[in-house]
Amino acid sequence: MRRELEHLEIPDEHEARLRTWEVVRTAFAEREPAPRSVRLVRPVLVVAALATLAAAALSPPGRAVIDRVRDAIGVEDAEEALFSLPGEGRLLVESADGPWLVQPDGSKRLLGAYREASWSPFGRFVVGARANELVALEPDGDVRWSLARPDVRAPRWGGTRTDTRIAYRRGEGLRVVAGNGEGDRAACADVVAPVAPAWRPGSRHVLAFVAPGGVVHAYATDRCELLWRSQALTDVRALEWSPDGSMLLVRGERSLRVLDARGRVRFDLLARQAAPVLAAAFSPAGDAVAFVQLAGGRSTLWLVPRLRPDRSAARKLFEGTGAFTGLAWSPDGSRLLVAWREADQWVFVRTAGARRIEAVSRIRAQFGGSFPRLAGWCCAR
Amino acid sequence: MAGSGRDERAWVRGAQAGSASDLEALFRAHWPRAYRAAYLVVGDAAAAEDIAQEAFLAAVRSLDRFDRRRPFGPWLHRIVVNRAIDWARARRLRAEAELTDLLPAPPEPDRTEAEPLAARIAELSPEHRAVIVLRYVLEYTPGEIARLLGVPRGTVNSRLRRGLDQLKAAL
Repeated sequence: MRRELEHLEIPDEHEARLRTWEVVRTAFAEREPAPRSVRLVRPVLVVAALATLAAAALSPPGRAVIDRVRDAIGVEDAEEALFSLPGEGRLLVESADGPWLVQPDGSKRLLGAYREASWSPFGRFVVGARANELVALEPDGDVRWSLARPDVRAPRWGGTRTDTRIAYRRGEGLRVVAGNGEGDRAACADVVAPVAPAWRPGSRHVLAFVAPGGVVHAYATDRCELLWRSQALTDVRALEWSPDGSMLLVRGERSLRVLDARGRVRFDLLARQAAPVLAAAFSPAGDAVAFVQLAGGRSTLWLVPRLRPDRSAARKLFEGTGAFTGLAWSPDGSRLLVAWREADQWVFVRTAGARRIEAVSRIRAQFGGSFPRLAGWCCAR
Repeated sequence: MAGSGRDERAWVRGAQAGSASDLEALFRAHWPRAYRAAYLVVGDAAAAEDIAQEAFLAAVRSLDRFDRRRPFGPWLHRIVVNRAIDWARARRLRAEAELTDLLPAPPEPDRTEAEPLAARIAELSPEHRAVIVLRYVLEYTPGEIARLLGVPRGTVNSRLRRGLDQLKAAL
């Protein structure tokens, strides 16, 4: 078969080659080498940035302002398209058309008309929802299986490489189904708050969810055994386990708390009445937390490089006008991706080492016209 | 044929430094297989030309950031095959929509009677075509195909098996 395919005559092959080489040669001649560093929007801003850096050098460690963009919106010299991701892993995002999977080389694919997509453990599959359907997808968009159920919301896939479960909200309640689509059943809670549940990494199928009133529950779902209940927490928006399953990050509207393995508040990262928190995430190593706050019409990306009881450890990494609507760690933890809606840009910010920011513009145009939601950057191989 | 790994790294390095002749060497080494792979997945010479051309243009645009320690071929082939799958899927969807609207079906791929294997491959789904092409034209292992397409290795094996079974039955 190989021989036959290699000798297959393709119409117009020689001419196609000549035409393509001409186009490629012209593009090569017109190209400009990529800039090695990011210039800010106007020269005056360079001065502002230098002043900021000077201030940073004089301020206590951990409070350094790594970069700052003042009045203009967007990073200049951003790439005009996402030619590649800076690092390993694949990025799952969701636009109005549905979820897209972006490969490290920048190629991307619309998986289909689904919503609320998220990764399975280790990035092997993707789960998404339609109005009355829960759908498990191959990463290239093929439907692996689907389950017709009314009013499916916030599906989340957890477990090990060989034994997984998917939790999802249906109406006011919570349900769990095995990773092969079998055994769909109610899961330990008739009524839950409208917050996505979160699986603790590992084999015990422990699920955290928020009950009405803001109490976080952790259940071993196979036996429906309550493991712990937290105190009542206000306005909970999202839950995320640390990669080793020892801590749970609880993002409130204006709060950020880390619960320990028994559901007690171990770190309360923000002061009372802090600015609204738009996004937060554990680093892949689980020792750091990044988060975004919105205050005075400007968003700020903060990094808590090492979790500890005092609140002084946060470092400001980047800020800009408008809302940073999403946040994702690269699988190796070396970068943070910030989705900057007003600038129509994605900004990749280095978390350690030399200061470096890379940006990509025209994000809406590349994802069907709507600014996509970040749904996860997965996974280190 | 693609050059040796050392040749290829030298060509990439030269092209990064602005050498058009090194870029041409890369193009000569990789065009035939990239174009053939695209053609076998989409079954349309014009579309295959566009897809292979876009892949090379993407390579030119991101040349400065290309990691020379990595082989160039798999990087290019991933773009080619994924775009070819997307194109074939989109054509299938268009065909379905057109049938719904009672419009004429799209023209058949430009194949001849002399190419029974290619014609049979065209009857497979784009996903099955892609794994057959990656395995038997570009000569990747199932593990490498899984990484290129971003699907589990078991999925690659089952698509290969199913695709080969269908081809055997048809031939």
